[in-house]
Amino acid sequence: MAEGVDKAREEFFSEAQELVESLSRNLLALDAAVRAKTEDPGLVNEAFRAVHTLKGLAGLFGAKRVGTLSHRLEDVLDSLRLGRLPLTESVLDLLFRAVELYGDALSVERARSDDPLPAIDALIDEFAHLGSEGPSGTSPLAKFELDQAMLAVLTEYEEHRLKTCVQQGLLLYRVRVDFALATIDRALEDIKARAKTHGEVITYLPTGASTGIDTIELDLLLASASSLAELEASLASNGAIIEPIRLRRVEATSARSAPSLGPSAPPTPSPPAPLPAHSLSERAPDAVEPNAAAHRAIAQTVRVDIRKLDALMNVVGELAIVKNALARMSERIRAEGGRQLGSELHSIQRSFERRLGEMQNGILEVRMVPLGQVFDRLARVVRQIGREMGKDIRLVITGAETEIDKLIVEELSDPLMHVVRNAIDHGIEVAEERLRVGKPLAGTIALNAFQKGNHVVIEVEDDGHGIDETALVDRAVVLGMVDPEEVAQLARSEIFNLVFLPGLSTKKEASDYSGRGVGMDVVKTNISKLGGVIDLHSEAEIGTKLTITLPVTLAIVSALLVRIVGRVFAMPLTSVAEAITLDEKQVRMLDGREVMTLRGVTLPICRLGRIFGLAPLPGVVPPKRQYVVVATLGSRRLGFAVDDLQGQQDIVIKPLGKSLSGVRGFSGATELGDQRVALVLDPAALIEEMLRGSETARERRLGYG
Amino acid sequence: MADVAKAGHSLLARRMPGSQQSGLREFLSFRLGADVYAVELARIREIVSSPPVTEVPRSPSDIVGICSVRGLLVTVVDLRQRLGLLVSPPTKLSRILLANTDSGEVVGLLVDEVRHVVRLASTEIEVTGSVLGADLSDHVLGVGRPEGDFVVLLDLASMVET
Repeated sequence: MAEGVDKAREEFFSEAQELVESLSRNLLALDAAVRAKTEDPGLVNEAFRAVHTLKGLAGLFGAKRVGTLSHRLEDVLDSLRLGRLPLTESVLDLLFRAVELYGDALSVERARSDDPLPAIDALIDEFAHLGSEGPSGTSPLAKFELDQAMLAVLTEYEEHRLKTCVQQGLLLYRVRVDFALATIDRALEDIKARAKTHGEVITYLPTGASTGIDTIELDLLLASASSLAELEASLASNGAIIEPIRLRRVEATSARSAPSLGPSAPPTPSPPAPLPAHSLSERAPDAVEPNAAAHRAIAQTVRVDIRKLDALMNVVGELAIVKNALARMSERIRAEGGRQLGSELHSIQRSFERRLGEMQNGILEVRMVPLGQVFDRLARVVRQIGREMGKDIRLVITGAETEIDKLIVEELSDPLMHVVRNAIDHGIEVAEERLRVGKPLAGTIALNAFQKGNHVVIEVEDDGHGIDETALVDRAVVLGMVDPEEVAQLARSEIFNLVFLPGLSTKKEASDYSGRGVGMDVVKTNISKLGGVIDLHSEAEIGTKLTITLPVTLAIVSALLVRIVGRVFAMPLTSVAEAITLDEKQVRMLDGREVMTLRGVTLPICRLGRIFGLAPLPGVVPPKRQYVVVATLGSRRLGFAVDDLQGQQDIVIKPLGKSLSGVRGFSGATELGDQRVALVLDPAALIEEMLRGSETARERRLGYG
Repeated sequence: MADVAKAGHSLLARRMPGSQQSGLREFLSFRLGADVYAVELARIREIVSSPPVTEVPRSPSDIVGICSVRGLLVTVVDLRQRLGLLVSPPTKLSRILLANTDSGEVVGLLVDEVRHVVRLASTEIEVTGSVLGADLSDHVLGVGRPEGDFVVLLDLASMVET
């Protein structure tokens, strides 16, 4: 029972999260619309609907803070859609703050904490001060010969839309259609969809004068820029009779020609309300256009706990072992003379292998989500920080549809956010400076994502002033991170990599957002935890580009099996560039490290047998010739010396137990079949360790070797 | 002497929640070298006869390595080393006890030979940590004397927390 409640609560949180994300997307679109000075009533409506649903859910689960926030936010959005409140940048600021607060409120509720969230009250206070300005002057509707009975039953929202359309100079039409009751749902949707291509359907009302007992006649009020002939051509097939609503004569007046529509005026009741019993206009104000297609789409998706997918993936791993056992069995039967039986078993095993492969890919596909999820969140941050720092930022996103493992996406949000903050804070110049150097006033931040083999590459680029290499090196020297004598030998890429050292920041004054010297090292650590690497390149006055390379998935990887001093290790192929035979004569000592030259480039060599302190196994003869597996991660390369290459295999990496959490250099272990377990090397960690050439590696060697 | 036994008694009752003073408690006994040890039976989920164990470079010296038991990755601890006893290579009789730890991890305990289940009344258990080596006393719950035998009762929780 309690478990059921918990599960429902979990679902509430994930659904709430989705609603907040969709709200955020709507606000971003609204922001774009406001900047472009256009208007999209649908967006405000969608935002309103999301908040309304959220309010209901919060009430159901006793999430008071979420409920309160939603309630007030709903009021604001309602005022916006009714036109009582103009949509301005500052109103949007408040709305975006509400989105941020939802995050806080949800995590507080999730922890079942009773901590008050003063930020919510503060925001609600500001909501209250927004004030509402109603449209003034005479109603623009006065000039149309509108049926008073129709005007009287318009909801406040419909009336607002009607006025807006009229103000935009659209013409009004009455579209009269006789619907068969049996098919009215579909027929009405159909005609609405057609009419929408010409303008906006303000409302639809029964006329009360149907031709038969099983039909109902509706009037649709349509605002459109199209001519009568165009509309007739488009809608006649639906049996619609279209009449333009004529303009009044100039002197025409009416007692109700300018209904008072003050800020708090309720829809004016009209004495002769000719509403038939089955009125279609009796809709709650929040019931906006029912969107049948969207509902169907929701019904066809399920929410799945990613741990269940992990469990499935484990089963696939087990099955792969069964498959290998089958293969061995068929070999054995054939070798022992049972050719016929052996071949049959072999073909069964092959078909098993294919199906298993399909299943594996299927599960992997389910885990994939578009990067757009995290990019949306970044867009919000860009807007917010840009505004607060007074910098005009244009965000250009490409490749939002690139898919990556859900687990990676979850972990990407924080590092990327930090990178983007840095770009706005340190990278993009203030307006005067940009003008001075002849750059466009608005700074550009480009987020590009694309797949590259088994990797996904994310680039964060800005057109700011770039990194001051001299200042960076000076600072590193002052902090004792770089030997002053080595400065001259630093390659440019090495200089840029200094950015990722802990405690280094070139900005003299820390801002609220970045520049306190914490951050880029954390970003780098987080990215490497995901098996990724980060590289930075910068050109003075032109800008800075950060490139993050990540594996597509963490669930299953192709690995190269290598043998080192009689033991088998797996090395993820994602980081293997090539494997070559090791020519001992080419190995030289450079700066206390072994290196060789590969096609003219110096390649540091790491003898895994030595750094792991592997003792020779009895009966295993050291091989005459060794191999070098060249691993590349970003711009770094390292050659791992191994005794033998044993082929390639898809593996499921399982984490090592808690008792081995202190052991570095392995990302986990995997089963090879025949019950053997192989350790999976962590090239990123090993490269880091070797190239750092730090004391710790040597100490470890002494300690355990 | 009577006082010591009493003190040990209450200590045990505290260290092993859920045990009843009057009831019999079950332990699994095994051999390390010439001595017999035992751990609480409820902690042991399975006994496996030495699957291939893969050594883990850079791991603490008392960890033999890792093995897979039907898909479950298990870290195997050399109990002799952890208890500070003389180390000897595994034999045909060697077994790995899969034990549930408090952290949820399943740890394998390498022992020389599995004996049998011992049922001990509380009166048959005494705490005599002082007669044992210093390395050992940290991990010992007490000593059981089932029918004149001598079994060292080990505290699993303290042994697998590293």
